[in-house]
Amino acid sequence: MLLFLLGEAFRDLRRAGRVAASAVVLITLSLTAVGGFWVLSSNLGRAVAEWRDRVRMIVYLKGEPAPAEAQALVDRARELPGVASARYISKTEALATLKSTLGKDAAVADQLPSNPLPASLEVTPSATGATPEGARALVTSLATLPEAEEVAGGMDWVQRLTQWQQLLATIGLGVGAVLGVAAVLTVTTSTTLVLHARRNETEIMRLVGAPELVIRLPLFLQGMLQGLLGALVAIGALTAGYVFFAPRVEPLVTLTLGLPKLTFLKPLALATLVAAGTLLGGCGGLLARGRRDP
Amino acid sequence: MIELHRVCKVYGVGPVRVPALSDISFRINKGEFTVLTGPSGSGKTTLLRLLYRADVPSEGEVEVLGQRVPKLRRSAVAALRRSIGIVFQDAKLLPDRTVFENIAFVLRVLGTPRREITQRAFEALRAVGLSSRAQAYPSQLSQGEAQRAALARAIVRQPPLLLADEPTGNLDEGMAAELIEVIRDIWAGGTTVLLATHQARLALQLKRRLLVMEDGRLLKDQG
Repeated sequence: MLLFLLGEAFRDLRRAGRVAASAVVLITLSLTAVGGFWVLSSNLGRAVAEWRDRVRMIVYLKGEPAPAEAQALVDRARELPGVASARYISKTEALATLKSTLGKDAAVADQLPSNPLPASLEVTPSATGATPEGARALVTSLATLPEAEEVAGGMDWVQRLTQWQQLLATIGLGVGAVLGVAAVLTVTTSTTLVLHARRNETEIMRLVGAPELVIRLPLFLQGMLQGLLGALVAIGALTAGYVFFAPRVEPLVTLTLGLPKLTFLKPLALATLVAAGTLLGGCGGLLARGRRDP
Repeated sequence: MIELHRVCKVYGVGPVRVPALSDISFRINKGEFTVLTGPSGSGKTTLLRLLYRADVPSEGEVEVLGQRVPKLRRSAVAALRRSIGIVFQDAKLLPDRTVFENIAFVLRVLGTPRREITQRAFEALRAVGLSSRAQAYPSQLSQGEAQRAALARAIVRQPPLLLADEPTGNLDEGMAAELIEVIRDIWAGGTTVLLATHQARLALQLKRRLLVMEDGRLLKDQG
């Protein structure tokens, strides 16, 4: 029975002709848009996660504490919520770091009359402290330390990156949704045309007492076939786009976001796109209405 | 098998009410061959449509195969129709399928096992004398052959009731006689037949029970 219904669905698809083809194209476009933004958003998400791990906050101190006081300060900082670890950096160590950064120009630092660099605490936030809200709270609590002169570093730019990621995801979903609705309507139109083209079959089916499911299932299946076809073409287009563009933009991505490589959609995401396309097509097939008996 | 009690059907077009059937009552028993006759527009087709629930009466009771037809749910309507074979003036064959495929189509949509389909379809074709035309397309058939193919499609499920609405309407006298002979054979096999025709001569020739209609009323029930 299922083979027969599938055969009827294929027959219907051929009958719908160009309208079915445009429905497939629209589904392809909508899923390519969603998939494209998905690739961008997931890579940006990876960059955000990676940068969150590298975030450090520097608490510049008013003076240079004695070694015992410095250790006590580190201990107090470690107990603050949102702190994974804390390390004391003396004025001497700060100058040594500066010299090593300057490299062959390190001699410039030797000409300074005194060490101008302050002692500081380097604080690594925990996972909760690395979120935009957690980072704000952590900066505030570090600033309340009596020894603190200023707290530098934070999550502002990570937060901006997160916002970009959310914006991309929203645009992707928005464009995908608009095109998706258009695709459903086109599938509905093509299915309505199919209904018109197969009105003789439908009439005979109703007259001989075929169950409603058997009458409607080929329409649903041909909608699903359009959706499946659209999804597969979209995945093909996305793969081709990735293969073509990824090597070209990766150097720029490495430079700006620090990602060594752009990743493509995972198998689960691809399966989701296929399922979404099939569902979109199926919805279009279900929405089509033909004439019914009283 | 069929029972109508004070059935009325009124079609409404805006404020205008057009009576199609008025106060029709009769009963057809199992195994009968009944001819429903009357001029065009007398209400024969409307009456038949009530029997397979393509329409519902405005008033009165319609009972077919022990079921009160107007009150049936959609799924029950489908079940009822599986027990009724229907033939129209227009054969309603699917033009892009062969005669065999047209008949097999009915069995397929009703979920008949694949191995039974060929056997049952050819049995039906044999019953109407059309075995040799199984692979022909409807456009390659004469009108008489097309009607016999439609008849084969109607009886392929071996329904206990056959409704024929002007099946000879498009046929010349010779072809009509052939078709009527086939319907007689089907009836002789135990199927209850209700045949509607506006051809009074044909109705009389059949020498069966005659229901005569005019202007939506049942004028005579004889035989």
